[in-house]
Amino acid sequence: MGVLVFIVLTLGLGALITVAVRSHWHETSPVNRLTFDPVSTSLAGTIFAQFAVGVIGVLLISSEYSSGSIRTTLAAVPNRMRLAVSKLIVLTASIFIISEIVCFIAFSMGQAIFSGVVPTDSLSSGAVLRSVIFAGVYLTLLAVFGFALGLILRHSAACISVFTSLLLVLPIIVLFLPQSWQNTITRYEPSALGRAMMSTTPPAQLFAAWTALVVLAIYVAVALGVGIALLQRRDA
Amino acid sequence: MLKIDHLSKRYKDTLAVDDLDFEVKPGVVTGFLGPNGSGKSTTMRVILGLDHPTKGRATINGKKYADIKSPLREVGALLDAKAVHPGRSARNHLRALAVSNKIALSRVDEVLEFAGIASVAHKKVGGFSLGMSQRLGIAGALLGDPGVLLFDEPVNGLDPEGIRWIRDFFRSLAKEGRTVFVSSHLMSEMAVSADQIIVIGRGRFITQGSVDELTTTAQGTVFVRSSDPSSLAALLVRNDGVVLQNAESGLTIGALTSDQIGTLAHFAGITIFELTPQRASLEDVFMNLTAESVEYGSASPEMMHREH
Ligand SMILES: Nc1ncnc2c1ncn2[C@@H]1O[C@H](COP(=O)(O)OP(=O)(O)OP(=O)(O)O)[C@@H](O)[C@H]1O
Ligand SMILES: [Mg+2]
Repeated sequence: MGVLVFIVLTLGLGALITVAVRSHWHETSPVNRLTFDPVSTSLAGTIFAQFAVGVIGVLLISSEYSSGSIRTTLAAVPNRMRLAVSKLIVLTASIFIISEIVCFIAFSMGQAIFSGVVPTDSLSSGAVLRSVIFAGVYLTLLAVFGFALGLILRHSAACISVFTSLLLVLPIIVLFLPQSWQNTITRYEPSALGRAMMSTTPPAQLFAAWTALVVLAIYVAVALGVGIALLQRRDA
Repeated sequence: MLKIDHLSKRYKDTLAVDDLDFEVKPGVVTGFLGPNGSGKSTTMRVILGLDHPTKGRATINGKKYADIKSPLREVGALLDAKAVHPGRSARNHLRALAVSNKIALSRVDEVLEFAGIASVAHKKVGGFSLGMSQRLGIAGALLGDPGVLLFDEPVNGLDPEGIRWIRDFFRSLAKEGRTVFVSSHLMSEMAVSADQIIVIGRGRFITQGSVDELTTTAQGTVFVRSSDPSSLAALLVRNDGVVLQNAESGLTIGALTSDQIGTLAHFAGITIFELTPQRASLEDVFMNLTAESVEYGSASPEMMHREH
């Protein structure tokens, strides 16, 4: 169910956005035309899909707490590390595979829609290929982050609020900070890391794609470490 | 065999389990009895490694639950029948459990059949009645054919047919040499379904014994008819007896056994016409034992019981 929402969001919204860009291309300013990135535009659906994968990750564990089935699960698999790792493997593998497929379809669909009117990119370029692959990696990391939040907070609603706050509200809060702070902080926002990972040539105020991947991976690893430690320490 | 070793569990400011220490032996049904909030479920959760003990430990065949490789094959438990993913079908729920503990999938249909829910095996668990969930929980407990079985208030939600079925079922499990540990807050239930009873109150151990032992060691009363009731009453009171009733027909004496009363009367030269020990009902015993430790008592429940 969640997976279906995720696929529809990425592909459907990606298609809508690319169609919109194509139909307005003739009135787009030359500056915007110059900085236009056909890759990240075709992957724009991921902006919405990131919430879907986050929720999938959260629910994988929080739904066990809300239904009480965590007790049955832990009675069957009392080794909590083993439980967390096996859930993590299932989550990571399935979200990674689906994300990559969906991102590649979104990219190809976008280029097909653009073709003839808007400049397009091809996967034969290394940076383009990396961007599309990283889009899937970004979504996978967010799903794992959602899972870690689920382990820490246990309540679905609380997890989803925190998750959306980090992606949506945090950037808005940063906007209220002094400009000099903004310049250093913005690049560390999860959503900015995602943008850096998905663009062929990330703008100067963001991290390079690989650096962004490492920073995001560190966030996720820390959250996951805290989550697993709490899972082991707390009563079920 | 199940061993509770000086186990204590504290939740913030409640000491839910206070230094419990006992063993549950195989081959008999052991009842775990206590009023509401006395710590039965907490003890069960600690046994299953769901809650971490504050002190002491619980072991199954010498091992902590968390250290058992495929625990469902050694221990079957039904704690909370509703603790199941509501979107799964009964069969898929059991299949997932079987896979996680390397149990043959053919067992799933066997236990569904046994628990009497084979006809609803494909239905979502979320829509199950309490009784059906309880049966699914029992199916889950039996899945790995374990030697140790724990049931927390298993008769909750069962109809009379189901209750009789489950009692017979516990007995047959015990007869096969398994360790069967069943909690309840109803003495009357334990009296018919358990061989051995462990009584707790406010997290503390109160007593342990067979149903017979508990009723005889508990303070029953003795009815006496004699040649000189008033002298006998005075004599017994001097010897720590309590005269509960001094009626035309005879005396009802507490705190002394019929042997003691007979002996005292003999040396005082009082002739006894009738000396009848009156067995306390198991329910009375329970009420007396746990009177001080009832957590959520309504206004003096034991008084109401004495009237009968
Ligand atoms: N997770 C928890 N957090 C805080 N207190 C708890 C928790 N679980 C149990 N308690 C408290 O511990 C005590 C023992 O509760 P427990 O559920 O073990 O009793 P019980 O014997 O199973 O009662 P019942 O017959 O009502 O099922 C109660 O006072 C309860 O409020
Ligand atoms: Mg209970």
